[in-house]
Amino acid sequence: MSRLNEKIILQTDSIVRDRILAASVEVRVVSFRFQICIVIGLMATVIGCGEPNAKFVTSDRTKGLIKEARRGAKVEVNGEDIKLKGVEDYVVENFGTPHDLVAWLRLPVDFGGQAGTVATQENEGRLKVDIKDGSDTGNATLVWLTGDSAGQTITINGYNAAVGEIALAETAEVAAGTQFVISPGQTLADGRRHYMTHCSHCHGTAGDGAGPTAEYLYPKPRDYRKGIFKFTRTKAPEKITTPDLKRIVKQGIPGTYMPSFMLLADDELHAIVEYVRFLAIRGEYENKLCVELEESYSTAAVKDRTSNDGGESKDDIITELTGFLAEDLPGIADDTGTLLAETWERANSEESLIVPSIARTPDSAESRSRGRALFLSAKAKCANCHGPNGLGNGPQTEDYEKDPVTNQFKPLPGLYDEWGQIVKPRNLTSGIYRGGRRPIDLFSRIHAGIKGAKMPAFGGSVLKDEEIWDIVNYVLNIPHEVQTGKVVAAALPKDDKAAAPKAVPEKAAASTEGAGE
Amino acid sequence: MKKFWCWFFVFWPTLAVLICLISVSSDYRWWFPANPAGSNPYEANQVIAAAGDYDYTAASPLGRQIDDLFYLILLIVTIVFIAVNIALGYVLFKGASESEEGKSLFTHGSHNLEVIWTIVPAGILLFIALYQMDVWAQYRVIENFPDEARKAPVAEVTARQFEWRIRYPAPGTTLQIDPQPGDLYTVNELHVPTGKPVMVYLRSQDVQHAFFLPELRVKQDAVPGLVIPVWFEATKAGEYSFLCAELCGWGHYKMKARLIAEPESKVDEYLRELKLDQDYDGVSKPAAIAAVEE
Repeated sequence: MSRLNEKIILQTDSIVRDRILAASVEVRVVSFRFQICIVIGLMATVIGCGEPNAKFVTSDRTKGLIKEARRGAKVEVNGEDIKLKGVEDYVVENFGTPHDLVAWLRLPVDFGGQAGTVATQENEGRLKVDIKDGSDTGNATLVWLTGDSAGQTITINGYNAAVGEIALAETAEVAAGTQFVISPGQTLADGRRHYMTHCSHCHGTAGDGAGPTAEYLYPKPRDYRKGIFKFTRTKAPEKITTPDLKRIVKQGIPGTYMPSFMLLADDELHAIVEYVRFLAIRGEYENKLCVELEESYSTAAVKDRTSNDGGESKDDIITELTGFLAEDLPGIADDTGTLLAETWERANSEESLIVPSIARTPDSAESRSRGRALFLSAKAKCANCHGPNGLGNGPQTEDYEKDPVTNQFKPLPGLYDEWGQIVKPRNLTSGIYRGGRRPIDLFSRIHAGIKGAKMPAFGGSVLKDEEIWDIVNYVLNIPHEVQTGKVVAAALPKDDKAAAPKAVPEKAAASTEGAGE
Repeated sequence: MKKFWCWFFVFWPTLAVLICLISVSSDYRWWFPANPAGSNPYEANQVIAAAGDYDYTAASPLGRQIDDLFYLILLIVTIVFIAVNIALGYVLFKGASESEEGKSLFTHGSHNLEVIWTIVPAGILLFIALYQMDVWAQYRVIENFPDEARKAPVAEVTARQFEWRIRYPAPGTTLQIDPQPGDLYTVNELHVPTGKPVMVYLRSQDVQHAFFLPELRVKQDAVPGLVIPVWFEATKAGEYSFLCAELCGWGHYKMKARLIAEPESKVDEYLRELKLDQDYDGVSKPAAIAAVEE
């Protein structure tokens, strides 16, 4: 008889003595086990779970590749086994894991540490060194970059910036001019710590925007792995700049769940932003390698090729792939790194920055009126998405989009962003500007569009800078447009400002409405 | 064993007296309302306070009155606690010392005593209720707010999961309930002038939050749909904590901001810089440079 039945018998037929006895023994056994569970539970509470085992998840794109493309293949050359690296191997080699980060020095990320050269060796325990903008350290590690012991790590007792001296913990003979780094990767490691504390629960360990809290949020936290950020001050094809990222972390993004981290210290902010850039570049690198392999070696493609129509054999494909992995991919991986280094470096350069050719047109009814005309015009087509009144309900929001790959209509109407989410055009009457409310912020949004979203870039070819300024003036004023019955400060008598605001009579409203209509 | 309960009830007032004696010493005062000392950037040559150094005066005049109320009530409660427990111990001692030979004595109680111990606590409660009313009215009733604070609210503070959005009126204008053109916006940093009462409008964009300035003893819930005026006065310039004190969601712990109290000229300067930054069009000088040159 199962235990469950016995218990039921105890309840329904409890006058039978031996059954009660049997059942009470049973109950005691259960409660003993229960006690064990409690003890184990309490111990677990006391001991805790330890450090979570963080890992960079593999992107869905990589998961779509066949095993050999992901993890590499082994080939025999002259009787020796050689491992050919796949996508995941390259990503780990160049970026590491959350526990063992790799600083790929080619990338324009500040990995931290103080680099310098040895000037003279004072004695066995002291080195005179040149470090630009150095600061004091306590015990730290030092890595030699050049010289006989290049690549080796030693411990130092500290660096004194005032006298420019390093106290060595062990005796070493070092030639003048040897280059070194103290505490290499310190910024990256700090960034990881702060990122895991403040950011990862939404943005995820790998920056995939899928942390534990992400599920409950709309709009979804940014997935950095495409290397695309929405609110930048750079031109349309360019990446986000470091100051842009800093501003976003500091100011938050009103209208979304991104809060402000104003109280972070400057060095913490710097470390977080560098780590985010590191994650973005890592994700983009993985993505770009996938693009190279996807067409021929994704699970779907291989299935297609080995089908009756394709007529290839699996072995042939693997042989072809190993050839590709041996001959082409190393070069591609290297070039991708260089390309990413260049694009991310270029983002921070001056020529990527949007600088309006003329200063903002002073805000006036005339300018706003021109702005509104443009807003409705066929040239700018703002109203298509944002609606004629700026409510974010333009006709385009009700349209069915076609998937560019499958050429099928999407099941739900609306505008889709790069991440496959439906995004709403901003309701411009709300006075909430996600990317910032400075005129230059709005100018940049119009000039370069919103990267990854459906807002196109109007700068240069479509709209002239002065036309953009007119639209900016109009858009900034939409929340304040006088509506009948709405409270307006300007309409109050000067000496009565503290008094309760009054509703504007219809006539006054009409006369102050500017040239909107 | 007969006297166990007697000793039990005498133990607690004795402990209370001991705690009273210890708690006035400077080493053990930390559990009284206190501010971490040494957070004042405007005091020249200030000695950097060691961890565990506290300033026991509230940073606002009303806060000091609230502290006084707290100490008054603490004093009343302590005296009552000690007196009641000693009386209880005494009664138990007397009962336990009596011989068990004779008959027990039963009574219907003492009418006079009952009247006394009803009227005395009621009197104390009534006293507290009336005595605190003045402070409460100053703190909460808008008609009793200081005039200069009531007439010119300095900012609107909007709580949001999980940050504080601040809106200042455009320089030279008065804050309106609805956003006006030229209003200045920032987040998680509220600048107010020192030495005069200031009022803010408190709102919430999503759930309930609470506007909490511990050093100034201000705590007020922000309720979605309501605009709640709150006033306070920072006597000393400095940086104060500005927290959310109502569990508002998973990110409640990170809903921290700072209140910066500084001389009025500095606040004006800050607002000027904020305006320069907010009006920045990418062509004119960046705010920081323009501010330095001014």
